Amino acid sequence: MPVRPSRLPAALAGLGLAAVLTGCAGTDEAASVGPTTSSSSSAPAPAGTSSAAPSTPAAAGQRIEVTVTGGQVSGDTGRVPVPAGEHVTLVVTSDAPDELHVHGYDLGADLAPGTPATVEFDATIPGVFEVELHEAGTLLLSLQVG
Amino acid sequence: MSVLAHGVGSRTDLPIPIGFALYGAGAAILASFAVLLVFWRSPRLGGPGSGRPLPMGLQRLVDGAPLRQCLQAVALLLAAVVVAVALWGPQDTDRNLAPWVLYVTFWVGLVPLSLLLGPVARVANPLRLLHRGLQVLAPGAPGSGRLPALGLWPAAGSLLVFVWLELVYPGRSEPATVAVFLLGYAVVHVGLALWFGEDWFAHGDGFEAYSTLIARLSPWGRRDDGRLELRNPLANALATPSQPGLAALVVVLLGSTAFDGLSRTVFWQTGPGSADDTLSGTLGLLAMIAVVAALYVLGTRFSGRMAGQDPAIQPARYAATVIPIALGYTVAHYFSLLALDGQTTWILASNPFGADGLDLFGTYGNRVDLTAVGSDAIALVQVGAIILGHVVGVTLAHERALLSARRARASDQLPLVIVMVCFTLGGLGLLFGF
Repeated sequence: MPVRPSRLPAALAGLGLAAVLTGCAGTDEAASVGPTTSSSSSAPAPAGTSSAAPSTPAAAGQRIEVTVTGGQVSGDTGRVPVPAGEHVTLVVTSDAPDELHVHGYDLGADLAPGTPATVEFDATIPGVFEVELHEAGTLLLSLQVG
Repeated sequence: MSVLAHGVGSRTDLPIPIGFALYGAGAAILASFAVLLVFWRSPRLGGPGSGRPLPMGLQRLVDGAPLRQCLQAVALLLAAVVVAVALWGPQDTDRNLAPWVLYVTFWVGLVPLSLLLGPVARVANPLRLLHRGLQVLAPGAPGSGRLPALGLWPAAGSLLVFVWLELVYPGRSEPATVAVFLLGYAVVHVGLALWFGEDWFAHGDGFEAYSTLIARLSPWGRRDDGRLELRNPLANALATPSQPGLAALVVVLLGSTAFDGLSRTVFWQTGPGSADDTLSGTLGLLAMIAVVAALYVLGTRFSGRMAGQDPAIQPARYAATVIPIALGYTVAHYFSLLALDGQTTWILASNPFGADGLDLFGTYGNRVDLTAVGSDAIALVQVGAIILGHVVGVTLAHERALLSARRARASDQLPLVIVMVCFTLGGLGLLFGF
């Protein structure tokens, strides 16, 4: 009689273990980014302040480029990890007029068809934030800051 | 509009660090066996009546009609304002108070309030006041005899509808949706209360049942003779009256929070949930609830069979022991929403209708400070809540087993404990974001 019940727990335990193990394999980059929250990141930086050094765009920071064609998003989509405090340059090109919106940081830019729009900011707020088209509601990417 | 958030919200939590997940998992497993092997071998927690009675004067005040009707009237007024703002306030979700009040301040805030003060949603339920006013329409309450058999099943259904709205329905954050939901909720539940009598709210109002369930882990209890008392929250939880549907209510809560976690993972967003539509969300929500229900029923049935008990009473008997685990999940998933995005409510309350120059409480110009709680602190709260809920749950299950049979063997509890470990590892896994 103890045979039947004891097999199920073992199977269940195995299931839980497997779930944890697949977890380890799945998100390597998330784990290595880790809790590197710099202590100096206290206030959200408005969009304007980051344009203090505009002449060296590729010198530092992370450039994220996304293109929207016929409602389909291509480029740096999905979950995009960014170290906390990093300078982020977000470039979005859409084939339809819309408005870009970065949640949490609450930044936006008007999108004219075919013209790349750029939003620059310092990623000082940790968390996962959506970047979307305000009118169409299309999710472009999720910014994972931390 | 947004795939990542609860009903509303501008951010979601970072995945917990791998170290937190592994230490948490290890702690949960160790604690489980410590409870089984080292803890007491005969029942130790008191039942109802084990606490300290409140002074009679205080009980008269708390149980009296004046205080309750006052609170219900205030709640009704606030609810009316929220509906009015939802209908006639700014139509932009970021500027409209109503979605933030419903999905954050009320729904999430109900948890700490009930944990500290007891079943607040029952005491201040504005629908009870409405029902009393309309009772002349159907004085007999023809269906009241059927309520005991229904138990908490209607509440489980009511909560399922709300969590579906909160987690699945694409238009959930629109102010108009909130208005329709609140008005519909009031009409449906007051109507059903007219048929079933005022006790309907305890059996069928999801919010009231939710608050009452969480209040089972508060220090406020009621003796069998109706006397209010201050008692050990663990004893309070074990004294939860066994009702049909209690397990279903807990399972809906646990399953919906698990789906909330699942829907934030890259796995879900790029796999089964990539369509991001009503169908995939509904199926995902129901699947998570089904998984939780199946594990729970299996664990309790096997524990009961090993102990030689009647299998029919098993799933209901242990339902109260899963409340802390559901609460741990809830805190882990909603803490940051209340602490960070919850600020929006207090900012918008200064100018609910978006009038020019109005600033009632001087907060309208404030910005939500999304750095008010650091990401490490959030991760600690998340893992801490899950582990604490787990330890309390296993402890309650142990005590419950000893209460059921004086000479209960530790091995008999193993299936249920292993299911609890599964819940906890699954919860940590979802926070880690596999």
